[in-house]
Amino acid sequence: MFDAFIGGLLLVLQWKPLLYMLIGSAIGFWVGILPGIGGSATLALMIPFIYKMTPQEAFPFLLGMHSVVSTTGDITSVLFGIPGEATTVATVVDGYPMAKKGEAGRALGAVLMSSLVGALIGAGFMAFSIPVVRPLVLALGSPEMFMVVLLGLTCIATLSGQGKRGFLLGLLSGGFGFLCSLVGQDRQAGIIRFAFGQLYLWNELPLIPVVVGLFALPEIIDLYVRGTAIAGHVSYGNLSKGVKDGIKDTFRHFWLTIRCSLIGSFIGILPGLGGAVAQWVSYAHAVQSAKTPEERAGFGKGDVRGVLGPGAANNSKEGAGLIPTVAFGIPGNSGMAILLGAFFLLGLIPGPDMLTKHLTLTYSMVWTIALANIVVVAVCFLFINRIAKLTTIRGNLLIPFILFLCFIGAYTSNNHIGDLIVLVLFGGIGYFMVRFHWPRPPFILGFILGRLAENYLYVSVSRYGASWLYRPKVIIIFLIAVAFVLYHFFQNKALKKEEADEA
Amino acid sequence: MRLSGKLLMSLCFMVIGVVVMITAMEWPFRTALFPLIVSIFLFLGALADFLLNLFGSKKVVSKQGAVDFQLSEDIDPALATRRTIVAFSWIIGFFLLILVFGFVIAVPVMVFIFLKVQAKERWGISLLLTGSAMVFFLGLFVWLLNIPFPEGWVFEGLKMLGLG
Repeated sequence: MFDAFIGGLLLVLQWKPLLYMLIGSAIGFWVGILPGIGGSATLALMIPFIYKMTPQEAFPFLLGMHSVVSTTGDITSVLFGIPGEATTVATVVDGYPMAKKGEAGRALGAVLMSSLVGALIGAGFMAFSIPVVRPLVLALGSPEMFMVVLLGLTCIATLSGQGKRGFLLGLLSGGFGFLCSLVGQDRQAGIIRFAFGQLYLWNELPLIPVVVGLFALPEIIDLYVRGTAIAGHVSYGNLSKGVKDGIKDTFRHFWLTIRCSLIGSFIGILPGLGGAVAQWVSYAHAVQSAKTPEERAGFGKGDVRGVLGPGAANNSKEGAGLIPTVAFGIPGNSGMAILLGAFFLLGLIPGPDMLTKHLTLTYSMVWTIALANIVVVAVCFLFINRIAKLTTIRGNLLIPFILFLCFIGAYTSNNHIGDLIVLVLFGGIGYFMVRFHWPRPPFILGFILGRLAENYLYVSVSRYGASWLYRPKVIIIFLIAVAFVLYHFFQNKALKKEEADEA
Repeated sequence: MRLSGKLLMSLCFMVIGVVVMITAMEWPFRTALFPLIVSIFLFLGALADFLLNLFGSKKVVSKQGAVDFQLSEDIDPALATRRTIVAFSWIIGFFLLILVFGFVIAVPVMVFIFLKVQAKERWGISLLLTGSAMVFFLGLFVWLLNIPFPEGWVFEGLKMLGLG
């Protein structure tokens, strides 16, 4: 096994695979930065280029591209408040306020370093868990997956605002997201729900236009209202100084970064959940790490921990997400499904062979993820000061370009004019949510997990009747979910008591 | 004034809850179950929020800060409202421009008009930035990625008339 591990590294370091990995990483770098052009879509576009490649060349190319998309996707989230990827939305919540405070450099330093740590942990997770993860993944049926989704939904408690009113608004926001996820054809009975006679809505509301509208348009409007640069009137010098602070922040909150990386890795190996969920669960965990009500109030206003958590989880889920694809041929998300196609194109069959006959190739994938991220983060650090200076450009010069990127990004989701309508509609909803202090993160969590919850519940009921409720693993995950919610309330109570004692 | 906006927001969600409930009642049990549960919850939650906004103490209302981005509050409210309306107009204007003329025309027109009229930039800068946006758009999205962009109602209409 150790030989295969080292063999994997030597394989990636050969000049041709290395060159392909660098080309892939360069493509992934730009794909991540541009909003709307997703890693999965680009992976699909790159498939025709691998026909003449060997597996040793094709996987460094494809994974080099796919594994860095989340890393650079965080850059636009921080600088302009536009999520570069659907998996980098949570970074907006605290990253963009940091940029507004003139801490773009610090936010970028933190998010890039935590992304690197996350990617390395994810790659390590993949390397060491391949032999043991099989029973875990195969043990989780629909009932357990429903409970895992329920566990994800409990994060709404943490992502809501402060106090009982804040919690109520969080629940309402999550409920509304849940309701929006039900738009389209019901997969059980085939009945069309809330489509208003539009064929476009049959296949549910697309994630990218919803996310870009909800998160980017309110920020653009606010930038216009302020009439300044994103970083206000902060000088260039202050921006560049923060990069080192951001890197230090990663190590100052190292255990948080590690924990969020592990959360990302765990969610990564579960089919169907993916980075969109991992980022919010880790963000919720970062919020929970606040020790005082004042600290907690700082989240959403530019707390660096709100950047570190999602940054780490986004990247760690990449390596972990490969495990079910490579080892069992079960793709965890759309990107992995496309990668599965690449396996067959190259004459490889995912499964036991990848863990025995082709183990060196499997480990070369681990090394590709690690090396590609190291290279891209190093390149980003080289140019980070210049990138951060973008936040000092006058808002009026940036707005037409940001707006143009939002519209293009949304449109590329389905290449349909309906994407633009969804973008504008959710832009309006997002603006009013922000204006009246309705938290948007619970909405996204409800939106992503809503349909999954419905599907898993129906499969569970159809397959097991009511007996699925008594399965030991279901009960255990349910208890964890209950403990998660109770922990949030007890923590709040303890914080309030502490505050009262101090007063 | 702010409170009335909040009231309106809760009212909207109550209406959404009711509409979803009524719509879902016509569906088979399996299809209707989730929408019904969520809409009842949404209605009751929004009703509670509505009543709290109406009769709850203002102190509590002001403390309900969300774990989220906050709009800038250091701008004069009247100016902020005016600018917000203008910003919304630009967004909707850009959308309508795309709808009527398609992306290829809408992108340079919007960028140029915004820079010249709104930002009051000089001709040189406005033209240079518009050109850059156009090159970026055509080079990446049209030429390299080959994304099929809609031609817009005007050109589609002209085609239908046999003039395009």
